[in-house]
Amino acid sequence: MRPTSWLWRGLGAVTLVCLIVLLAGFGLALKDHWAPSAGMAIPEASKPPAAAAGSLASKPELKITALGDSLTVGTGDETGNGYVKTAAADLSKAMGKPVRVINNLAIGGLRADQLLEHLDDKGYVDAIVQADIVMLTIGANDLFEFATDGGSLAQGSEISPEQLDSRLPVAEKRLSDVLAALRMLNGAARIVYVGLYNPFYDVESLRIPASDTIQKWNAYAHGFAAADGNATVVPTFDLFESDIGSYLSSDHFHPNEAGYARIAARIVQALQ
Amino acid sequence: MAEWLALVQNETIKVWKKKRFAFVVLVLLVLIPVFVYAQMKIAQNSAEKFKGDWRAELQNRITDNTRALGSERIPEEWKKWRRALVQQLQYYLDHDMNPNTPNAVTFTRGYLDNSVTLFIPLMVLAIASDLVSGERSTGTIKMLLTRPVRRWRILLSKLVTLTLYVSLIIVTNAALCYLISGLAFGYQGWGEPIFTGFRVSGADVNVATVHAVPQYMYLLMQAGLVWCSAMTVAVLALMVSVLVRSTAASFVTMMAAVIAGTVLTNMASSWHSAKYLFNVNLELTDYLQGTPPPIEGMTLGFSLAMLGIWAAAGLAVSFAVFTKQDILN
Repeated sequence: MRPTSWLWRGLGAVTLVCLIVLLAGFGLALKDHWAPSAGMAIPEASKPPAAAAGSLASKPELKITALGDSLTVGTGDETGNGYVKTAAADLSKAMGKPVRVINNLAIGGLRADQLLEHLDDKGYVDAIVQADIVMLTIGANDLFEFATDGGSLAQGSEISPEQLDSRLPVAEKRLSDVLAALRMLNGAARIVYVGLYNPFYDVESLRIPASDTIQKWNAYAHGFAAADGNATVVPTFDLFESDIGSYLSSDHFHPNEAGYARIAARIVQALQ
Repeated sequence: MAEWLALVQNETIKVWKKKRFAFVVLVLLVLIPVFVYAQMKIAQNSAEKFKGDWRAELQNRITDNTRALGSERIPEEWKKWRRALVQQLQYYLDHDMNPNTPNAVTFTRGYLDNSVTLFIPLMVLAIASDLVSGERSTGTIKMLLTRPVRRWRILLSKLVTLTLYVSLIIVTNAALCYLISGLAFGYQGWGEPIFTGFRVSGADVNVATVHAVPQYMYLLMQAGLVWCSAMTVAVLALMVSVLVRSTAASFVTMMAAVIAGTVLTNMASSWHSAKYLFNVNLELTDYLQGTPPPIEGMTLGFSLAMLGIWAAAGLAVSFAVFTKQDILN
């Protein structure tokens, strides 16, 4: 036989097999799309390890889960670190052991009631269950966001002291629900709640009403933390009073890199 | 029949001797390791970050995409796409299933998804574009047509040869990808479950028809769909090759059409009539995966119908022109 003939036989057979396989695959895809079978059973997956009880000092490695709103995302920080990464790095140095952020699940614009819904999500539960430290910021959007136009104070919406005060009880209830749900998920984790500051401290008309509400809010959070025993409220109010401009980013609402670094330093002090 | 089979043999051997397929294999041998290396770097980065906790990694993807939904600057169409993606990823997480188990089969799956619009059409064109115009530029077409065989039978033999080579190219792609990526990710993973059957309409994902299939079956279905879009490109390329004298012009015409398709899929979501173009419908594997289609209202049935109509029109033109046209120097 001539070599060309051998080539043809081999080539013809191989390409024909390829064609038949692909046609079968194509047919299968059509069948699966319009007349799907029941599908295979999904194998059971392993559960994530739960956090061990005990003090932070006694654990060989610390795991952090971060939750909440844009402050935990790190909005305004041009380096993208926010307070979470900075606090983790500083804590690792201060305590001389590895500190790992399991996940930062914060979403900008989140309100406490929305966070509470997320706490049912499997991904949130997995991350919280494993954590030795849970860091969160929440509540600013509950107090300052306007449901009607979705804009915050920073975007120029008008706000009256009465409105703020009327929102406070609703928001407080949400906060206590969130903290209680966190405690239910993980009984051993240290909960670090970062308190609110007044981003409008340098705005004459807003200094007193906004500060008043925020102080009440922080006091409420403090009360909850004291009752829990293993939770900390990290105060940030005093960090954004004098020379507020050099610690806020250009949106005049979120901290900048320096502002986040100051919050992170506070957290590290509170955890040591 | 035997005579006609001899024609197919002749064509197949001709393409082989022109080393077109060898060229395709060579390209794959160079590029697949590059893709594998890039993917390996990504995997290493995320392993460092998440310590192999795929749930944390998946949740992080969900959070990232959810964060982007809040941004004012992102166009509404992209948000729809992200919303659908978030729902799909959440479905995987809720069912405790890893959508990206690290192995060669998963990599091959991703490779086919990404190469269906551009890379595979390119390789198909390497063969299809000069099937007829190549004969014209070398002058061999006269020898071919002076044979005592009807013209349409000659073109049909070219079409059959093309079909065989398209099939060979797709299987070679999958096989080489699996073999090379296996070195980095391991050769296991055929039986891993994966979800299919997500129905996307707008920003909502209907999960009523979702079911798990083993990856080998998914890969088979995917290759079948890739074959379907590759065949449409091949048939249209054959038509252009009949119409245009030079191989270069034929190749460039088809390549421009294919590239225009990928550009349009990225930006045509507001131009609804673009869905009637063949090049916007090439991503058939998206329906299998459950990714939102480039233009709202597109379904697997719609895309298949569009590709079918374009291919049929291409065939009709090719045969009509090839049997009638005068061959001049």
